[in-house]
Amino acid sequence: MGLTPENLLRRPITTQKCTLGCPVLDRCLAGGIPCNSVTELVAESGCGKTQLCLQLALSAQLPLSHGGLSASSLYIHTELPFPYRRLQQLSRTFHHPHSVLRCNPCDSIFVHAVHNADQLLDIMPHIESFLAEPKTQLPIKLIVIDSIAALFRSEFDNTPSDLKRRSSLFFKISGKLKSLAKRFSLAVVVTNQVVDFIGENDGINGMRPGNLSSLYSSGRRVCPALGLAWSNCVNSRLFLSRNEEVIGEDKALADTCDRDYLCRQTRRQLYVVFAPHLPESSCEFVISKEGVFGVER
Amino acid sequence: MEVGRLPISASQRGKLISAGYTTLSSLSSLSPSDLARDLNIPDGEAVEILKVASLTNRLDKPDGSHAIVNGAQTAWDMLHEEQLFPRLTTSCADMDGILGGGINCKEVTEIGGVPGIGKTQLGIQLAVNVQIPVDYGGLGGKAIYIDTEGSFMVERALQIAEACVVDMSEYNDLLRKGNRSCQVKVQPNDILENIFYFRICSYTEQMALINYLDKFISEHKDVKIVIVDSVTFHFRQDFEDLALRTRLLSGMALKLMNLARNYNLAVVIFNQVTTKYIEGSFQLALALGDSWSHSCTNRVILYWNGDERYAYIDKSPSLRSASAPFAVTSKGIRNSASNSWPSGISIENTSPRSSSIRSG
Repeated sequence: MGLTPENLLRRPITTQKCTLGCPVLDRCLAGGIPCNSVTELVAESGCGKTQLCLQLALSAQLPLSHGGLSASSLYIHTELPFPYRRLQQLSRTFHHPHSVLRCNPCDSIFVHAVHNADQLLDIMPHIESFLAEPKTQLPIKLIVIDSIAALFRSEFDNTPSDLKRRSSLFFKISGKLKSLAKRFSLAVVVTNQVVDFIGENDGINGMRPGNLSSLYSSGRRVCPALGLAWSNCVNSRLFLSRNEEVIGEDKALADTCDRDYLCRQTRRQLYVVFAPHLPESSCEFVISKEGVFGVER
Repeated sequence: MEVGRLPISASQRGKLISAGYTTLSSLSSLSPSDLARDLNIPDGEAVEILKVASLTNRLDKPDGSHAIVNGAQTAWDMLHEEQLFPRLTTSCADMDGILGGGINCKEVTEIGGVPGIGKTQLGIQLAVNVQIPVDYGGLGGKAIYIDTEGSFMVERALQIAEACVVDMSEYNDLLRKGNRSCQVKVQPNDILENIFYFRICSYTEQMALINYLDKFISEHKDVKIVIVDSVTFHFRQDFEDLALRTRLLSGMALKLMNLARNYNLAVVIFNQVTTKYIEGSFQLALALGDSWSHSCTNRVILYWNGDERYAYIDKSPSLRSASAPFAVTSKGIRNSASNSWPSGISIENTSPRSSSIRSG
């Protein structure tokens, strides 16, 4: 809070970003996930939201010289169980090539389960004091909420009064997250699910948020869950899509890709739907045992 | 009788009137010695009277010399004044066109649209453009940027500022045929330095800041625009008492309007859109309700039309409703025809999947 204006020249001229752990993806996002900001990852299940979040929680620990934040992270998950084994797996491949991390990276990821929106609001004061007086080796600079949509899965009917109560909760949660992000220079990442888009082709064209006139995943037209109100609550929105592909149809493409990629039949794409600092862009990526990696083509 | 209002002694006033000097204009082109002779007073006294008269004359001017009530203006004076002040360009000629030349000073303009339509981009553009020097047709002022959502990015502001400086030097070259003596002196860093940036994290902070702005601007008279991005965000969280919300909002709107008028600056506030249940179907509407919609002089809605961004004049006392396309480019807000980001960042529109995403 301040009634004195901030001199913009005294800020770093580029906002601090947290690497995603892959230079290709980082390039697409101009360095990674920005601090002081809420970034949303939208995708249907199985697109790699959680993979990307886990990788982010690991790469946040990298020193600044490696694009990380040199920080631990808080991972709030709504789905049970938390994918410990996958984190372990990622951390092993992660740990080895970057000898810059001395201790086990899993020790710097704090995990907390939350089941509904009220519970999340309840623990906010605890999060705040946790951030203010870190008992951790590295300060916390990353909060992941995976997923925000799951917090609102039940308890809300499709009535105007319930929808109103729900959207006021959106703004409350987002307001709290944004003020934490600002106070502690946090990168905040929330994941969101998609719902099938039902309606006329151009019926809601006027209200589409972002650059893409429609989002497709698994051959279905989808839109982010939680509606327009929630769209107003995030600073940036990224969309991950997957589409099945028949191998061998495109020989030229098959030749340029490595063997590992060929066994997969899924093509994954990351889109910048909207972000104050990024142009409309996209990047293809693959998920392997070692993690999530952008594909340069 | 105008001389009757001059803060001078009664005897001096009497002498003035009896000598036939009844209006301020009759004193305006008079030398002290002439006045001393006509009134039969020492030269020094005549100098004092003329000084007082010219001061009063100057104070009167902006308020209009025909006004009956102090501070009131005739419509003629207002028209004249409005024509004197340059408008603030949006850097998109088409949008300027429907706005009657750009954003108007002394007015509150509300701009609303869906997330990702380019509200923040337009806000940053205006914060940069307000600094275009008077020589270049700008306002040569500074900007106050009130960021309630945290979407302001310094790197983006720098990018837009750099493009603005390039545009100014091009303009300079065209106009002055490359006369080296009048180079553009403004640097992108200066532009950033002249944006007073406030990051607001709750509605109480927002109210406090708006209340404080009067003092701040009175100390920084060169501020020519106040941007609130967005006015909405903190007012959509958990307001049990909607009557209180309406009161707070209309109080805030009134204060912003006073700032605009008193300091002759432009106020631009951004609003979000929401869905409204009207006659059995959901329709898009700007947030904060009906009473808020009376709070702003002008209202502009940004929306998608196919794959193109459009601005629409929804409400204005002086402009006809019209719409115009605009584009968000790497340089900032521009005309739609030049719609392209640099291809430096891998944009893959070659694959059939990507193109199917754009085809909706």
